[in-house]
Amino acid sequence: MAAHASAAVNEELNYLNWQKGIWSWLTSTDHKRICFLYLFAILFFFLAGGVAALMVRTELAFAGPQIITDPHTYNVLFTMHGVFMIFLFVVPGIPATLGNFLIPLMIGAKDVAFPRLNLFSWYVYMVGAAIGAVAMFNPVDTGWTFYAPYSTTTGTSVSLMVFAAFVLGFSSILTGLNFIVTIHQLRAPGMTWMRLPVFVWASYATAVIQTVATPVVGMTLLLIIAERWFGAGIFDPSKGGDPVLMEHLFWFYSHPVVYIMVLPAFGVVGEIIPVFSRKPLFGYKMVVISSMAIAAVGFIVWAHHMFVAGISDFSAKFFSIVTFLVAIPTAIKVFNWVSTMYKGSISFKTPMLYAMAFVFLFMVAGTTGIYLAMLGVDVYYHDTYFVVAHFHYTIQGGAVIGLIAALHFWFPKMTGKMYNETVSKFAFAALFIGFNLTFIPQFMLGMDGMPRRYYDYPAQYQTLHTISTIGAYLNGFGYTFALANLLWTALFGKVKAPRNPYNSHSLEWQTQSPPIHENFAEIPVVTEEPYSYGTPTGRGH
Amino acid sequence: MLGLLGQQGSDFAHKVDYAHDVVTILSVICTVAIVGVMLYFAVIYRQRDGKDHETPRIEGNNTLEVIWTVFPTLVCIWVAWLGYDSFVALRTPPANAMEINVTGRKWAWDFTYKNGKKTTGELVVPVDEPVKLVMTAKDVLHSFFVPVMRTKADVIPGRYTYEWFRPIQTGDFQVFCTEYCGNEHSKMLARLKVLPKAEFERWLADDSEARKLASLKPSDRGKELYVSKQCVTCHSLDGSPRVGPSWLKLFGKEGKLADGSSYKVDENYIRQSILQPQAKVVQGYPAMGMPSYQGQLSDDDITGIIEFIKTVDGTQKVEVAPALPKKSAASRAGTTPAERGKALVNDSGNLCATCHSIDGSPMVGPSFKGLYGRKEKLADGTEVTVDDAYIKESIYKPAAKIVQGYGPVMPAMYEGKLSDQDVADIIEYIKTLK
Repeated sequence: MAAHASAAVNEELNYLNWQKGIWSWLTSTDHKRICFLYLFAILFFFLAGGVAALMVRTELAFAGPQIITDPHTYNVLFTMHGVFMIFLFVVPGIPATLGNFLIPLMIGAKDVAFPRLNLFSWYVYMVGAAIGAVAMFNPVDTGWTFYAPYSTTTGTSVSLMVFAAFVLGFSSILTGLNFIVTIHQLRAPGMTWMRLPVFVWASYATAVIQTVATPVVGMTLLLIIAERWFGAGIFDPSKGGDPVLMEHLFWFYSHPVVYIMVLPAFGVVGEIIPVFSRKPLFGYKMVVISSMAIAAVGFIVWAHHMFVAGISDFSAKFFSIVTFLVAIPTAIKVFNWVSTMYKGSISFKTPMLYAMAFVFLFMVAGTTGIYLAMLGVDVYYHDTYFVVAHFHYTIQGGAVIGLIAALHFWFPKMTGKMYNETVSKFAFAALFIGFNLTFIPQFMLGMDGMPRRYYDYPAQYQTLHTISTIGAYLNGFGYTFALANLLWTALFGKVKAPRNPYNSHSLEWQTQSPPIHENFAEIPVVTEEPYSYGTPTGRGH
Repeated sequence: MLGLLGQQGSDFAHKVDYAHDVVTILSVICTVAIVGVMLYFAVIYRQRDGKDHETPRIEGNNTLEVIWTVFPTLVCIWVAWLGYDSFVALRTPPANAMEINVTGRKWAWDFTYKNGKKTTGELVVPVDEPVKLVMTAKDVLHSFFVPVMRTKADVIPGRYTYEWFRPIQTGDFQVFCTEYCGNEHSKMLARLKVLPKAEFERWLADDSEARKLASLKPSDRGKELYVSKQCVTCHSLDGSPRVGPSWLKLFGKEGKLADGSSYKVDENYIRQSILQPQAKVVQGYPAMGMPSYQGQLSDDDITGIIEFIKTVDGTQKVEVAPALPKKSAASRAGTTPAERGKALVNDSGNLCATCHSIDGSPMVGPSFKGLYGRKEKLADGTEVTVDDAYIKESIYKPAAKIVQGYGPVMPAMYEGKLSDQDVADIIEYIKTLK
């Protein structure tokens, strides 16, 4: 590529070291530095949400009170876990970190379309996080779903917490807008839409959902505040309001938000598998179309969270049928990923292990999702541990595993260092086994009818809960170990990363590691598809 | 087929379970097939020498894309139909269904029958008859879930929702609240009792207790409950020490709690002690001595008990009706000794089930499950084997040999109340709980 020759003039200067000091980071409009600003912030909340989860699991290890002596504290902890993980960790998750870092690099741009708006989005996020932290002085006990009338009547600081989520929503909207404009306007010469890496396509679909759906939850959260402060009566049945309306409005955002979380992870897997299989992504067009289809259909399935919530039988039937429509593009993606490995030359670097684990975990997430789309079966499973296990397979097994895979895969580009393969694989094994050990027993608890959000439970459920808790500790250990390994290597690692350690064909690997401030010494000209691996005459193994 | 969801209690449960079986089998096949293919590719196309080998540039295959779009679509249509079909059964109560009104409130379930009979925490229905629950909530969202019936619906303030089922077998079944509703969400349980039809009719017609209670002034209502809810077992009216504090001049009393802080007995303290007995235990009394009455007493009941406690000045006497008539009826209920023992254990006059579970869960006393033949360590450090003699002694003289970790809380009230034959039957029953 054109970038090669001129970038070699000064390999030593890069985006990490061209300006120094904490202030240069806090005022930087460089998309790559903003990636790190987000990364540290979201990982802090990942840690906090994880600690809350482990306290919840510890309490549930055995029947009867264990470490938490009153149900209120327990309720606060599972709420904290949900709110931190969803609003502060997974939603910004991949888009705000890897999306920020990679989109300009992948399309051959110097930065995003609105660099200052990008930095502003981070500050908006931090303001939202700070408001959320203040709300912890009288922590919320509603669950992350804020269902009325419980949320409008409880004495905890719901108003502050939903205002925090409202502010965080703006950060998400602004990031989404920025990405949409960037992808439309800043593609390098020759980077046609059908040459965009699937990660960019997935980020594009995500950005559309962010900008369209997030305002709805913002409005809903303000209505909760209006209800609490002024007794507005929107959700209060004694004033002619309707608590079920709150559920509709909430899920109109919060179902699409699942795709905000998981679509970028689909993109990550679509990048990793071709590189380590040395094969073009199988059915590129179908993978792209299915991302956009998931984003579109995702908007009309929200009430499948409400089959037993008192909606009409007619709408339950409608939402069940459209929910099945999501299964089809999702299945297409899985088939294409697996087919990409056919006749490949496969190496098992850590990112590839994560990508293959993702395929398995997502199969479990997807098939258990089918149970919940089936009306009669969902009536049984609604609000049981089966649902808890299903969405953890989707969100943790999907979005979080995708993020960790991406952090490993692009680590050489981001830091200019190589991570330690042996340590990373060990951490992967702990995390993978721990995860399954946590949530497979929860599927079984759901089959036995164990309801979720229970501080205590009948003794018949104890064995499965104990196993689940052991798994949770192993899972937490795996994450800590994987991330500590990356942090350690980034700071003290000795092995310098080459420009393109995996011999990848996509654009971000063609500039130096780490890239210079404006990414490319010269704007590259794209002449090939991003996955042009293999030869027309190659016969495979 | 697979029986993953456990016992089927309603006539449509098999439809739900069939749909569940189909999707389980399909899911396992799909997951194993796809992950299997992935692992197969991973093995046979792995780099053997750590170097890239030449690969073909395969960019896709339209036939395959069509196959794996159409095939999942067909499967989805079938599976969606199964879900739809079972849902229609769940949502279509027969016109002749018996309606029972259900009210959810923080944190108990109230049931009202057409003839005015009311219960709290216990839904009694006849077997083989369709029952439609017409439900609403007093405060926040709740959800009425009967796993064995495979049905559930949210219970919403300001509107009515319904669910129905036709029980196909008698027995006691668990009811959960499955919509998060605050602090005692996990204690918002109820029992579904399915009775033979004739027995149900008798139960429904017998409203003497409720009518009597409703006609009484609050303090008299409390006095009735003092006996019928077995408060009398542990709380005296004359100041004599029993398992719990005496109610003599209790109201307004001040003192120290187990954790050293001080308390004053007022309305809220009594209410909390009834619903959450472990929250504020008075110094010198066992921490786990009293079971919670959450869900078993209505608000009016609790007010009645409070009013009654206010009146206790040492002049009150209550007739503790000998439980013998009831008990003897129960003891004849079964045909084998173990069945008679079971009836005795479950007999509300004997109260065994208040403190001893039969499923292994720890309550105030040791669970009966797996008890017989077990070696237990006593509070004084010695070991005993649970045999006939030990159980008999424990029933007649509960304080004699207390297992480590449990308090001296079992009342010595069974000598004379239970015959030797009764005790032998109970032992036979415990033997069956392995």
